[in-house]
Amino acid sequence: MKDLGFILASYISAFGAAGALAWWVLRRGRTLARQLPDEDKPWT
Amino acid sequence: MATTAESQTTAPVATAPTVLHTGTRFTRVLGVLTIASLAVLALFGLIISPEDITQGESVRILYIHVGTVWVAYLAFVVTAVSSAAYLWKRTRSLTWDRIAGASAEIGVVFMALTLLAGALWGRLSWGTFWVWDARVTTTAFLFITYVGYLAVRGLGGSHQQRARRSAVVALLAVLEIPLVHFSVKLWRSVHQDASVADRTSNVTLDDTMLFTLMLATVAFTLLYVWYVFHRQRVLTLEDAMDDSGLDLALAERRREGEVAR
Amino acid sequence: MNTWSLARLVALKDLRVEMRSRVVINQVVPFAALVMVLFAFALDNDAALTRTAPGLVWLGTIFSLLVLVQRSFAIETADGALDALRVAGVSTPGLFLGKSIALAVELLVLEVLLVVLAIVLYGVEVQGMGVVLLVTTLLPATTGLAFVGTLYGGLAAGARGRETLLPLLMFPVVAPVLIGATRATEAAFGIDGAAIEEGWPWVGMLLLFAALFGAGGTLAFGPLIEE
Repeated sequence: MKDLGFILASYISAFGAAGALAWWVLRRGRTLARQLPDEDKPWT
Repeated sequence: MATTAESQTTAPVATAPTVLHTGTRFTRVLGVLTIASLAVLALFGLIISPEDITQGESVRILYIHVGTVWVAYLAFVVTAVSSAAYLWKRTRSLTWDRIAGASAEIGVVFMALTLLAGALWGRLSWGTFWVWDARVTTTAFLFITYVGYLAVRGLGGSHQQRARRSAVVALLAVLEIPLVHFSVKLWRSVHQDASVADRTSNVTLDDTMLFTLMLATVAFTLLYVWYVFHRQRVLTLEDAMDDSGLDLALAERRREGEVAR
Repeated sequence: MNTWSLARLVALKDLRVEMRSRVVINQVVPFAALVMVLFAFALDNDAALTRTAPGLVWLGTIFSLLVLVQRSFAIETADGALDALRVAGVSTPGLFLGKSIALAVELLVLEVLLVVLAIVLYGVEVQGMGVVLLVTTLLPATTGLAFVGTLYGGLAAGARGRETLLPLLMFPVVAPVLIGATRATEAAFGIDGAAIEEGWPWVGMLLLFAALFGAGGTLAFGPLIEE
């Protein structure tokens, strides 16, 4: 039924986008952190 | 910052990094809280909260819609404030520029989600994917303006050039968006259907629904803060990479050469 | 040199370049006329054309604005003229105002043409107070569009991959002008029985827009064109 489809679509897109963003930013962070010295990381 | 002189004349950069990620205890706790609240949101939003008297099950989409629109506008404000902070001499620091950029990125995503959820909900409860009122139209404009802002960030040049250029563009957006909102509002008030102004106004909320709504706002805000912290750190690394990346690459090549000998 | 004399100098320079090269007259004016014809092909309905004529006039204006802005800055980047001006320490507010004035003049000429075409091709009529309203709409609308065009044109000028940024940045910002100018023009043309009085609030909004972007642009132009 249309209702359920739309409802799920909104939740899946929101949670999916959140997950994708999170995964991407953590991945990118790890890739770069491996290549750069600690002095470049002010949060440590 | 890696010392350029050293790596060009003597041994390559010696210190191997020990911190291999962008996390800290704060962001880890924040991350756990985010995941937990999102999980509870899914539970309440999809199952525990009741259906609406008039809207039926479609009200469930509203939790997503309201949560994401709040974050979208929060992100916009943060980008604007950070841009101003960068431009003001006394607080000038590239950190503000990176916060502005990180905030805009997640802001764009959330604006797209808002428009999507809004369209889906509108289709179910009113039969139309879109309505030309001030709020929806302004959100769409904010989305496009942000896409433009991110494009300006990608124009190249030094970090300072990028920062100044995009900060000015962000502040011009602060000028433009209220004008768009005002002109659309004036425009639609002329039409007969002005009385159908706010599609969300006749949703009556019981306590559970109100709780879920607030939970959605909290959960997405936590996600936003978590993301901006991490993304801003990644941008710091990206900038450092731009600055010393060539030196590091040269050092790598030199190291390889020495091993081969 | 003070800001106003610099603005006058720059505006006259731009207009003189146009007089000699005739790019606007030879290329942009035919483009605008062509757009008006294409609208007729697309809408294929005389009643619809007359009703939407105000919107089409201003859409045609905005598309032409895009081309005009690109031209306005092409003459600067061709021989590095903009860089030379900046290095010479020229005051950027004066530069901004001067280029905006020249752009506004060119735009005004185009708009008059588009209105004439609307009367001829789309069957609209305007008389008496309608003409007054129309003229008072054209002035602040054109000024606002010129300010926005010069501002974002400066940002998008020059380097590869930048010119395509211009419409993306500019179009959302000119939306209020499109809305306001179209509504005022509808009143001036008497579309759907609109009364002339309905147009005046929109003229007010256009004035506000022009003032805000005049001020904002004067401040922002310098930082945006700096390399």
